[in-house]
Amino acid sequence: MSTNAPLPPTGWHTIGPFFPRTFFKEGDNDLTRLSPDAPPTARGERIILHGRVLEEGGGPCVNAVLEAWQADAGGRFRHPLDPRHADADPCFLGWGRAWTDEAGRYEFQTVMPGGYADAAGMRAPHVNLSVLGSGIMRRLVTTVFFPEFALVNGQDPILLALPEDGLRRRLVAAEEGAADSIRRFRFDLVLHGSPEEETPFFVD
Amino acid sequence: MLTDPPDRFAPYDEAGQPQVPIAGYPNTVRRHPCSLPLFRRPVTRTELTGPLDLTPKLQPGDSNLAVSPEGRPAIGQLIHISGRVLDEDGRPVRNAVVEIWQANAAGRYFNPLDQRDAPLDPNFIGNGRALTDANGDYAFFTIRPGAYPVPNSGRWWRPPHVHFSILGPGSLSRLVTQMYFPGDPLNVHDRLLNSLPDPAARELLVAREVSTEEVDGEWLAYRHRLVLRGRHATPPLP
Repeated sequence: MSTNAPLPPTGWHTIGPFFPRTFFKEGDNDLTRLSPDAPPTARGERIILHGRVLEEGGGPCVNAVLEAWQADAGGRFRHPLDPRHADADPCFLGWGRAWTDEAGRYEFQTVMPGGYADAAGMRAPHVNLSVLGSGIMRRLVTTVFFPEFALVNGQDPILLALPEDGLRRRLVAAEEGAADSIRRFRFDLVLHGSPEEETPFFVD
Repeated sequence: MLTDPPDRFAPYDEAGQPQVPIAGYPNTVRRHPCSLPLFRRPVTRTELTGPLDLTPKLQPGDSNLAVSPEGRPAIGQLIHISGRVLDEDGRPVRNAVVEIWQANAAGRYFNPLDQRDAPLDPNFIGNGRALTDANGDYAFFTIRPGAYPVPNSGRWWRPPHVHFSILGPGSLSRLVTQMYFPGDPLNVHDRLLNSLPDPAARELLVAREVSTEEVDGEWLAYRHRLVLRGRHATPPLP
């Protein structure tokens, strides 16, 4: 098929309340493995990124689906649009899916992503998160940063797209210590709240 | 591996996308930002890229929903849904993950959260996953889903529909949508479908019926095209 005029992208809809639980397999939220029975990647520092998804009134957003996408520990993506993709970690997929429990909790096991130089500027280490759920007619997208990279966070073009420091701080996960020597980072997503608490989301 | 993934992602045309809130669907308020705008961001490498081979994680192979894993047929009108996944330039999207899920013929989901009175069909789970082929084509056998009333919504019924989730070649290519059936009288009343302001965009969510004369089998056939966001920089921009 050839066409000069672009085709309009298909309209979005919500996943609704009945996204199949049978779609989720053990290990879907583990970015460190290509598949549930694959060994974990040897590159980078294993970390846990977890938190809660909250709706109006601070109640749990139950049964939401979160999808994560991030670079490997060296800041590379296994994708031809990354000029360094040939050196990307072959044992790291960079993608995972989690769903929230009755308390709105989610958890990803992953590695600390690397930063990299991008045409748009220096990208600080980050994880892209998408939120799908009943009533969310188009996915909500945001980006999670890490507190130990304050300097490069201050130059990141996505963080700088936010108008004030208070909002930028809200996209930085909180370090919560370690369990079994794996550091844990907490990032709550407030979908609907006061101007002081709502999570900044981006135009998709 | 994909050699020419889309690298241009224009903002969505709002007239072709759902607008919220939707009356009678309180989660479109409770789970939507109200204090902050959605912030514009530059498109960088991390948004352009995405996982190209999800099959070890999201295993395909469930493309026949009409038969249970034990080989017993589900109750309902047997249908075949097929179509092509394209990008905005009309190029086929190969190896895209296509996930579908739907209610059974009585309008009930095989999901513990669906507690309505309509009967469950033990032979119909109602979800499947497939990959698009070299032409960008996908196909599923299933049964025609039933309509159902939305609880506490003031007699709003959902028309028969099939949920689609597509993972394409970049994180900005992600699409979650629903497919409707042509000619169903509930379509024009559906509040989700009507949340797209542009009637032409709504029409694109309705499948096309294939003439029974073209179908060589005991099923009704529908074609449904899906267009993922993304264009190609060929010819390059000035």
